[in-house]
Amino acid sequence: MRRFTSGFWLILALLALWEVSARAGWVDSPNWPPLTHVLAALLRDTASGEIPMLVGSTLARMFAGLAGGTVAGVAMGLLFGASPLAARVLGPTVELVRPIPIPAIIPPLVLFLGLDNGMKISIAAITAFFPVLTNTAQGLRAVEADQLAMARTFGVPAWRRLFLVTLPAILPYVLAGLRVALALALVTTVVAEMIAGEQGVGHYLVLMQFAGRAEEMYAAVLVLAALGYALNRGFLWLERRLIGWFFATGRDG
Amino acid sequence: MRRLARTDLLKETASMIRLTRRTAIVATLTAPLAAPALRAQSLTRMRVSVIPVLDVAPLHAAIAQGYFRAEGIEIDTSTTAGGATGLPGLVAGQFRAVFSNGVSTMLGIREGLEFRFISGASRGTQQAPDILAVLTRKGSGIRTGKELEGKRLASNTRNNIVWLRGMAWVEKTGGDWRKVTTVEVPFPQMADALAGGQVDACISSEPFVTAALESHGDRIERIGWPISETAPGGTNAHYVGIAPDLERNGEVFDRFARGLHKGVDWVNERLGRPELLELISGFSRVPLERMRSVALPAYPKGVTPAEIDDLVATMQRYGLTGRYPASAGLIHRTAQV
Repeated sequence: MRRFTSGFWLILALLALWEVSARAGWVDSPNWPPLTHVLAALLRDTASGEIPMLVGSTLARMFAGLAGGTVAGVAMGLLFGASPLAARVLGPTVELVRPIPIPAIIPPLVLFLGLDNGMKISIAAITAFFPVLTNTAQGLRAVEADQLAMARTFGVPAWRRLFLVTLPAILPYVLAGLRVALALALVTTVVAEMIAGEQGVGHYLVLMQFAGRAEEMYAAVLVLAALGYALNRGFLWLERRLIGWFFATGRDG
Repeated sequence: MRRLARTDLLKETASMIRLTRRTAIVATLTAPLAAPALRAQSLTRMRVSVIPVLDVAPLHAAIAQGYFRAEGIEIDTSTTAGGATGLPGLVAGQFRAVFSNGVSTMLGIREGLEFRFISGASRGTQQAPDILAVLTRKGSGIRTGKELEGKRLASNTRNNIVWLRGMAWVEKTGGDWRKVTTVEVPFPQMADALAGGQVDACISSEPFVTAALESHGDRIERIGWPISETAPGGTNAHYVGIAPDLERNGEVFDRFARGLHKGVDWVNERLGRPELLELISGFSRVPLERMRSVALPAYPKGVTPAEIDDLVATMQRYGLTGRYPASAGLIHRTAQV
């Protein structure tokens, strides 16, 4: 067990620096409260149930979006793989839309989808869609032609080939895309919550900023950092279990 | 090997579905409207765009006192960054009513949008203290708009009421507003930007003025009151609806205004009393201790053609030129009180 690595000590040192810089007045602003005050605020609003509820609602929106975006991304990726025509027709549009920063398209989404779950879930879904799509397409190119040819030789029908050969083979690529999407979706969901509506961690953050309560604001920031870290760790664990065979063949994600 | 992996996958998928179902239940429980589902059917639900500032106290008072419920209305507030964000939502039908500063509303009307004033919300007081203040660094020697020429002045947004009153103050105190560089800085960051030297002055609004003087009182000071020095009692913000909705559902807005105006009475009867400060502290989450030193606006019920004409004249003067329709036609019957 390498519990206390140098990375761990660096985090502790940075947190200590935060505390000291605020206490000693190196940074003299109410927008830079000592870490201990932030932790106290975090504890208070966690015990009151406010933060757990906000985190729950933010995560529910994020996962709903991720699920939708992943299904759409894989489906579109398979379509690209199956039909060169679709790839030629849709490819340029996808490449043009993909680099648009998601926060930039929030205003039109508000116009068409409103301010509630529909809009925020769509944002998470769009965020997840592109990395999953790109990775699915890449994964399809990497499916070993021999495997498919053998399945065909044995007379496995096309739809069963999809589920028995293609999908398992591209799973590692889809998961790699999903891991990127996971990190991005947390960011975009919170940004969407910050812009409009009174939902989730994002709204809490803005409300506290405007109330001049920096402790609570940083408490939300800490929660987001912890969430992002936990989600990634959880995902890695899931990935090892789902595609252990992929890593077992000596490849490394 | 492959088969084993697939069974694993199936198991994982099953547990993921259970997990999402659980999160869905959590989401349903946390949805704010889950509880009064039955009663809500008999109530007209209205979504109102607000900003978490002192000006919306009457709306929150009316919600808390049940004045809207008594009128058969359920108000669902949605916080946005201000009129400039809320008004497009009104056009898109996301909101029935929007709390908006007068400048953003009139700019929309100039562009042909059918905004109508459905109620007054806040105006400046006749004398200082008022809700806006010009702040500078101590020892900077800046006392007037003249000394701000060539300097950087922070405003939360360009082309809103805060900016407009700030420009009027610059001119009133001898400066040329065209020679002052406006920098957009959000209210919560103004004190830091000023103390840190990124700007030379800022037009701040309550409760940020009080917060800034509390935390940076040794370094920054107040040199002006933009509303009471340039337009005592001048208009600030209103509740705005959109004409087609007002025509079709005039009766709903009558009820909305009745409820809201009872909230205005509730607030005006309690100016300076702890209940009001507790109410404001409750919805804005501004600490109660700070609320005790915060200046409040006046809370009117109506909107007069004269105040809108004054506003438009000021806007024309500071570069927001164009053709504005006659003000009388913009004031819905609920605001003619």
